[in-house]
Amino acid sequence: MSRSRTTGIDLAARWLFIGLLILYTIYNLGPIFWLLISSFKSRMDLFTMPPKIFFTPDLSGYESVFGVGSAKDSASAFGVFESLVNSVIVSTVGTALAVFLGTLAGYVCSRFNFSGKGDFMFFVLSTRMLPPVAVLVFYHLMFAELGLADTRFGLILVAIFANIGLATWIMKGFFDGVPQEVEQIAIVNGYTRMYAFLHLVLPMVKGGIAATAGFCFIFAWNEFAFASILTTTKAKTLPVKISAASGATGIEWTQICAAGVVLIIPVLIFFYLIRKHLLMGMTFGVLGRR
Amino acid sequence: MTGPMLKLEGLRKSYRGKPALRGLDLTIADNEIFALLGPTGAGKSSTLLATAGLISLDSGRVHLGGRDVTDIDPAGRDVAIVFEGFNLLPVLDVKDNIAFALRSPTFRESEDEIKARIGRTAELLRISHLLDRDVDTLSGGERQRVAIARALVRRPKLFLLDEPLSALDLKLREGLRAELRQIHRQYRSTMFYATHDYHGAIAVADRIGIVDGGVVLQAGTIAEIYARPANVFVGKLIGSPAMAFFEAHVDGDAVRITGNGQRIPLADFGGLGPRTGTVLVGAWPEDIEVVSPATANTSEGRIYAVDNRGFERAVQINGAYGAFRKVLPHGVEMKQNDACAFRILDGAAFLFDAASGNRLSQAHTEERA
Repeated sequence: MSRSRTTGIDLAARWLFIGLLILYTIYNLGPIFWLLISSFKSRMDLFTMPPKIFFTPDLSGYESVFGVGSAKDSASAFGVFESLVNSVIVSTVGTALAVFLGTLAGYVCSRFNFSGKGDFMFFVLSTRMLPPVAVLVFYHLMFAELGLADTRFGLILVAIFANIGLATWIMKGFFDGVPQEVEQIAIVNGYTRMYAFLHLVLPMVKGGIAATAGFCFIFAWNEFAFASILTTTKAKTLPVKISAASGATGIEWTQICAAGVVLIIPVLIFFYLIRKHLLMGMTFGVLGRR
Repeated sequence: MTGPMLKLEGLRKSYRGKPALRGLDLTIADNEIFALLGPTGAGKSSTLLATAGLISLDSGRVHLGGRDVTDIDPAGRDVAIVFEGFNLLPVLDVKDNIAFALRSPTFRESEDEIKARIGRTAELLRISHLLDRDVDTLSGGERQRVAIARALVRRPKLFLLDEPLSALDLKLREGLRAELRQIHRQYRSTMFYATHDYHGAIAVADRIGIVDGGVVLQAGTIAEIYARPANVFVGKLIGSPAMAFFEAHVDGDAVRITGNGQRIPLADFGGLGPRTGTVLVGAWPEDIEVVSPATANTSEGRIYAVDNRGFERAVQINGAYGAFRKVLPHGVEMKQNDACAFRILDGAAFLFDAASGNRLSQAHTEERA
């Protein structure tokens, strides 16, 4: 019967699909798993061939990352903690401000007509087309002149500048999905447009704000080019710190791995917190017309 | 109150250079239901939005309740609006949606009063059981009821209804139309109702305005419009089926329908001067009689299509003069492709200018437009 044959093909396709998924998962998660394992290995275990699956966990990597335990005050202290704090501050403040400004700009671009609106929107988008390397030198000179070099404040400005265009465009899309009637109903019924924006429109684009914040946070957290040029010691962010990690005794792999894990965790936490809004926000225009 | 409730004078509005309103004039009396009937893009919504103050006009004045409100913001105009699709604020539940206006800085009432009014209005619209629901759990008909309740609860000077029933299915629409009339009777309110639906307009309205290209072509009761359609466009929009039009030419002292059809004496159309050339003869399908092909002074045609309308059947008849649709009287059987003949009843024909579409005939005694 043709029916069973079809089922056979379906089954084969299904297993093939599952196989590919498994391969893809290994490809993606493998390095992270390896990183996780390695971060708990001692320097000895790390270089054992073939690699050990079972070993005695060693926390020295994490101790030196956070500067606690045996690594406290030790010369080999990697001192990543300071960079972690820098990263968290720069990314969250930068994201918050970029999303805040992008939300306001996105609303204006969605609802109002002003002369040069098309050019303005293109300009906003074009700020993201720029390869960072092309302007790094000028940034460096400018920041040095303004006293912004190696400061968190300077990096926050960079994070805002790098993300505001993206935030404006994404938020404009979400606002476009909210019917004009929302404001019209409010205005006819005796409310102000500001009330409509704050109490009616904004709650309708919560998901969009979360999704936008998600994108901006990833970009800000992973930002490397600007941070590596514009910081020297005090304001170094975690990615920059890790890339330049070598201690008195050569490259501290255990510590690098531990720092890598630390680098991943905030992103996981952030996305765990906004996951509900994210699903809603990723499907643009779900608000519908009615 | 004496004087009109709403008076629109020469409204003009363009969107990005495309005119939507081109000098629209309109008057709506107090306590009247006025339907603005026109096809999509005729300027109905723009007229309503301009009345509410939600769009800024290029020129023209809006008078509401005897006051010039052109430069007054929407909250100061005391109107309520119901849209076709999106009406309910998803961040509020049904109860709070209805109470929305009554909690605003402009129209604030005490919570006791709000509660009482919600109760009464919900009862009137039979939505009492929905008050605690989220709006996204409501059906289309329930949503429109809630939207109408929100408009009613404030008792505004003027209700603006922008195709409020168009998104609903036929049964629901008919039911809500009757309810709108019922509400109107109880509240003694003035309603301005925009629709593209002829049946909806005549079912609800006291008077109808036909709008196209951003101007009102004609306004009046349905009887007035039937008696004196201003032009071809009005005829095409009114009636079900709409007015039948026949290409014709002036032949001596009579008008002859193209294709050697019916001859109608020019005198039948009132005091027309001597004329020549092509004209359009119009007649309501109800005033056209299907007769046996042997009858003298008729027009010939062929049945192009037959459609079932429940109890009755309508046919489309094509001929050299054009095509029209008519409901067949009971007992008359016709099939597709049958030959047939018909005549316009004496004194029932209208004469229209072929180029401008304006009515020429004055049989119904009033000066020319």
